[in-house]
Amino acid sequence: MNEAQSAAIAELPTIADFARTFRRIQAELHKVIIGHERAIEELLSAFFAGGHVLIEGVPGTGKTTLVKTLGIALNLSFNRIQFTVDLMPADITGTRVIMSSVDGRREFSFQPGPIFCHILLGDEINRATPKTQSALLEAMAELQVTVSGTTYPLVPPYFVMATLNPIEMEGTYPLPEAQLDRFLFKVRLGYPGEDELVRIIGATTGPEEAGVEPVFETAEAAQRIEGLKRLVREVLVAPPIELYAARLVRATQPANSRILGDLHAPLTVDEVNRYVSFGASPRGAVALILGAKVRAMLDGRANISYDDIDRVAAAALEHRIMLNYAAHSDHVDAAHIVEQVIKAVRAMRT
Amino acid sequence: MSINQAAAVLAPGRIHVAESRRDEQKLWLILFQIKGVRSRLNFLAMQRWMFAAIALLIGAIAVTFFAAATFGPLTFLVLAIIVTVAAIVGIIRETMLVSTTRASAAQAAAIADDRAQMAGRLATVLALNEAPKRSALWAYLVEDTYGRRENYEPSRIEPQWLSRAFYLMLGAILLAVIALPAAQLSQGLRQRMASSGVPMPGSVTADIANLDIRPADPALQPNAQIYADPETLKKLADKLASADNEDHQPRGLSKLLDKARDFADTFQDKLNGIDRSRANPLRMRLTDSNPGQPNSPKNSNSNPGNPGGANGGGGLASNSPPGGAGSSQLGGGQGQPPMTSIPPQQADEMASKDAAAQPGAGSDQGANGTDNPAEANDANADGGSSHGSGSDPSSLFGPVSDQPLGSDSFKIAIEAEPSDESSSRGSPTYVPPRIRVPLNSLQYPDEPLARTAVPDADQDTIKRVFER
Repeated sequence: MNEAQSAAIAELPTIADFARTFRRIQAELHKVIIGHERAIEELLSAFFAGGHVLIEGVPGTGKTTLVKTLGIALNLSFNRIQFTVDLMPADITGTRVIMSSVDGRREFSFQPGPIFCHILLGDEINRATPKTQSALLEAMAELQVTVSGTTYPLVPPYFVMATLNPIEMEGTYPLPEAQLDRFLFKVRLGYPGEDELVRIIGATTGPEEAGVEPVFETAEAAQRIEGLKRLVREVLVAPPIELYAARLVRATQPANSRILGDLHAPLTVDEVNRYVSFGASPRGAVALILGAKVRAMLDGRANISYDDIDRVAAAALEHRIMLNYAAHSDHVDAAHIVEQVIKAVRAMRT
Repeated sequence: MSINQAAAVLAPGRIHVAESRRDEQKLWLILFQIKGVRSRLNFLAMQRWMFAAIALLIGAIAVTFFAAATFGPLTFLVLAIIVTVAAIVGIIRETMLVSTTRASAAQAAAIADDRAQMAGRLATVLALNEAPKRSALWAYLVEDTYGRRENYEPSRIEPQWLSRAFYLMLGAILLAVIALPAAQLSQGLRQRMASSGVPMPGSVTADIANLDIRPADPALQPNAQIYADPETLKKLADKLASADNEDHQPRGLSKLLDKARDFADTFQDKLNGIDRSRANPLRMRLTDSNPGQPNSPKNSNSNPGNPGGANGGGGLASNSPPGGAGSSQLGGGQGQPPMTSIPPQQADEMASKDAAAQPGAGSDQGANGTDNPAEANDANADGGSSHGSGSDPSSLFGPVSDQPLGSDSFKIAIEAEPSDESSSRGSPTYVPPRIRVPLNSLQYPDEPLARTAVPDADQDTIKRVFER
């Protein structure tokens, strides 16, 4: 190990720092969000893994509140875009406008749109046209925005949470598979239970609002978060576990796909062959490993285990599996497919 | 300021080297424990294979010996084949199992991870310890894993030294210890029963009407004594002659079965330590349930005057006149147990007596039968069960029939086949229906006549009538 490496390591926070920070952010979020423990953990995992999250939930389940609270807790800039049919790409990316300078000259100046922030909530993303959706997706994937031939970088950390409303599907533009694939996790926000609902009523109808404390100082927030994200990448992965993740992803792909042909996968799952049109892409495997790394660090480990992979498999793979008509008619969902795939691949562990 | 901090200030390079060496030692200890776990797992797997294979062998041998002493040749052969195949399959399966369960270092680490709840730490250390570029968290992983070393000590991961298959082997030995003496006991009991003259379950009484006689297998060494009354022996001689003229060579499955039986018999004898050449002969009493009936059609075609044609090693010779129930002479060949003509009661007695006679005794009897025909004639005179079978007046009277009389009608078997007499070829053949016509008031059902005793005074008269 050379001196540069030693110095880099010395700058890194420890695993204990990571777990402590994560739990603090979680606690701050739970001051406002009642319930949804698993959803919040997955959301924060995706954040520290450097990915973006697609949130699916019916109206009124706290999607906007969650994102807003996260922005406060992380002490990062936060914007919200309500996607509508008439929303144009320039409305989110920004545009060049004629501005008068101090000396009276008029020149084009770039006015950044709401996309320029650290945390962005794209509410009901499926209501915008594909053109507008793709403008957001470019920013997500490449961390940059191109306007009139000029590219503007986004400042990390950059985190997009897009929400999907599973009801009122008329007049919507469902996200194509390629765009869904860019989200690291898909998080479901369901209706709260009876006890949780009682607590929500108590917390939101009283005279006092819950005060969310920022976990980081404003000046150091971005830097510390980036340090934690780098630490996540340092988590060790043994080759058998990489193989396990790869097998999970391969097992989601049907053996007789009419486009992909015979994949010669070492394992075929009956449910997958029957109900799946397209399985997870390589991004799915990446999402599995990154999510598992966060899980391992929360457990105080510098290595990931099979259980970490299993734990994040549903969030990482469900939205990457395209079901066919037979699945809809038999009321089979992607969660069931992932469950079957895990069950089948688990038997092939070393 | 602690000693370490002071040393770090004074000689930072040396401290770094010392820490690095300590990390290497920790890593070496972790890998050493993984190696220990692997050795222990593989040692147990090897034990399992060895004990299971020995158990299968011992069990198979015990069952084979028990079957040899208990069952007949064919049953024994089938059982021996099944047991042998099962043992071979079991050993192959165990060998395959041990080859698959033999743990590599990675598998041992994975097992240790699982059993010690190390959450993949050991597998990761083992897999990445030789990676060219190590992560910033590598030192943390080594330290963390080393700190939990008590959890994955080989004795904790695999506490047992002896495979459970050892108990399987003990069970097999116990089975052998029980089965082998039981087999010897069973065999000894049978031999004692045979030597004490007690009628054994295996004693043979055969009826000549049911005998299917074929030429002997040259590979066999017959060792049997047959006792019967002269008339029955005469029928047997006819059958032998008839069988000798026919082609009774076993074919196909029968031949295979014969060979299998011979093989099983020989194998069984070897396992039981029996020497058939020195064994007592089988005593078979031959009876005739239909003394008044002639031989079956195919047997009756043979020349009754020459029934003693060569039959394997020792044939049956007869000097009886044609058509008469003459005395049979036994042409006992060398080493061939004879057939003896004796009265039924005596045959029964002899059949139940101790076979004190040595294997050569049958030959002696046979020789006596050949040398002393008068004795055979005497025996024939006592027999007389062939009444009505020819024109010899001396054979007219036999014992009173004890056959119970019934009111059933009798049946006459007619050897006939329906012929195709239909108008057109290929049409269904007309088969007349079976009709049972009721008897009228003047008719009586047929009844067999019971054989009755003929008064002495009338016998001469009857003989005279027949002599005419």
